[in-house]
Amino acid sequence: MRIVVCAKEVLDPDAVNSYAVAGRLEIGEDGRTITQAAIPRLMNAYDEQAIEAALRIRDAGVECTIAVVSVGGDQADVLKQAAAMGADEIATITVDTSTVDYHVAARLLAAYVEHSGGADLILCGRQASDDDQGVVPALIGEALGIPVITIARAVEVTSDAARVTRVTPNGEEIVEADLPAVVTISNELGLPRYPTTAGRIAARRMQANVLSPDDLGLTPDDLQPRVALTKQFVPQVQGNCEMLSGDSPAQIASDLIERLRADQVLP
Amino acid sequence: MTIVACTFGDPTASGEVEELLTLARRLSESNASDLRWLVAGSAPRAAVEELAAAYGVATVDRIDDPKLEGAAPDASVEALAQYCASRPPATLLLSQTFDARLVAPRLAGRVNATVMMNAVDVENDVGTVRVTVSAYGGDTRAVYELTGDGPHVIGVMANATAPERSSGATPVINDVSVDLSRIEERIRIVERTPEQGPRLEDANIIVAGGRGLGSADKFHHVEDLAEALGGMAAASRPIVDDGWADPSRQIGLTGKVARPALYIAAGISGASQHMAGCSAAKTIVAINRDPDAPIFRYARYGIVGDCIELLTELTNAVKAR
Repeated sequence: MRIVVCAKEVLDPDAVNSYAVAGRLEIGEDGRTITQAAIPRLMNAYDEQAIEAALRIRDAGVECTIAVVSVGGDQADVLKQAAAMGADEIATITVDTSTVDYHVAARLLAAYVEHSGGADLILCGRQASDDDQGVVPALIGEALGIPVITIARAVEVTSDAARVTRVTPNGEEIVEADLPAVVTISNELGLPRYPTTAGRIAARRMQANVLSPDDLGLTPDDLQPRVALTKQFVPQVQGNCEMLSGDSPAQIASDLIERLRADQVLP
Repeated sequence: MTIVACTFGDPTASGEVEELLTLARRLSESNASDLRWLVAGSAPRAAVEELAAAYGVATVDRIDDPKLEGAAPDASVEALAQYCASRPPATLLLSQTFDARLVAPRLAGRVNATVMMNAVDVENDVGTVRVTVSAYGGDTRAVYELTGDGPHVIGVMANATAPERSSGATPVINDVSVDLSRIEERIRIVERTPEQGPRLEDANIIVAGGRGLGSADKFHHVEDLAEALGGMAAASRPIVDDGWADPSRQIGLTGKVARPALYIAAGISGASQHMAGCSAAKTIVAINRDPDAPIFRYARYGIVGDCIELLTELTNAVKAR
């Protein structure tokens, strides 16, 4: 069985959060790119969990090859990490990521699947923590004409089907679909494993398969973006918070309850 | 040019339909486009008529088919694709429910449309649709331009717009037929363990706890106050990830979106990711040790202090009455 995992490098969302909250997030002259050099780049955490989901399938005794692919020529760290975690193959599609929209990304990844020997299972993070769009997995599924199961907490496979535990707003559900299928992994899967020393050493020797859109049989027309990021900013929050204080927690508590009653928030 | 606002199932079941219709109407008025409301799945006719009239939607298209019952992604995508083929919309707006988050991009892939999710605002400029979306868990807003004639499929976040009524003519309701005879859902539901009891989405009062509680065994203080107030207990994502609270309690971008009258946040810093799930609360009370915690920017009342002490005293104060 061949499992393809799609991975993307993002700006550390916690660092972006800290700068945004402190009012110090820097947006470049183009008005859309976060330029803070101090913000580390790392693998999208949901994608890391997608790799973990693939490794757990292998740990469960399923004979499989795990290939991790990313879009863009600058993804070496992500792929090294994937290799160190236990991927069997790593691949990168060399393309200028600034001109890649979701549609182009999905087309590139679907073409990679078709050109690399197919996939029985495609695993993706539920969304990238930079743009939060979460549309690429569904677009890959449509491009390949295969089912898409979202927000998985656990994935099991048999020879011809996937059995997935999903986290839905109405509780958990277990679903099945015939393979091939796309499954998106959510944080409820749990922590991804930390690469072992042996894994890191093996990763150093692993060469990424470097592919161009041309290698994947795509034409310039296929790479024409239709969605363009034109601006990015930190939204302002209008605060009107009244801070309550008093001699003791008990006094503050009863003061708060009084106010909520006066505001008719509490009966 | 036609703008279609699309919803699934009973439109009275959530507050999101009113928001979507408000946003769609504003968009259609801004460039004199036709506005249609597409109701997929079974929906009570009277409720649809009433909402359409109240929100100034003159034309309603209904697609009702037994195959659309429940969460039926294959049937939903196919039904919307057939609808788009027969009367191509320039823009199709969907309320970004859990199921729509999958249906929207699949539909876009199927009919070769552009797609954007997490929209908080949509504007029409000459030949360009400009969509403002939430990014980085709500820390930033990103503005995207969609080129081409469409269709543009856009998922609109809950709480993006405050609902605003608009009087209009009596709506015309068309029944649109689609052929789903060949559709068999490829995803089979094996087992469902529906959550029991009340839903956070419907709760009027919510008390939520975060890392500031200190440890897992302190979460009961959140539950105690929630119970005393007749409300529900909730949690931020970090403590759900750490196992202090059940995933069904999670509020936020990757959890539940609630709209209570009162939201008491104890030991929650107020990361955008969390606020995406509770910023629509009418009154937010924040309790945090850190006077600079971002949660205070969203709060009506703030208390700097130990959240366990305050939760305990609040519970006592409520019970004393």
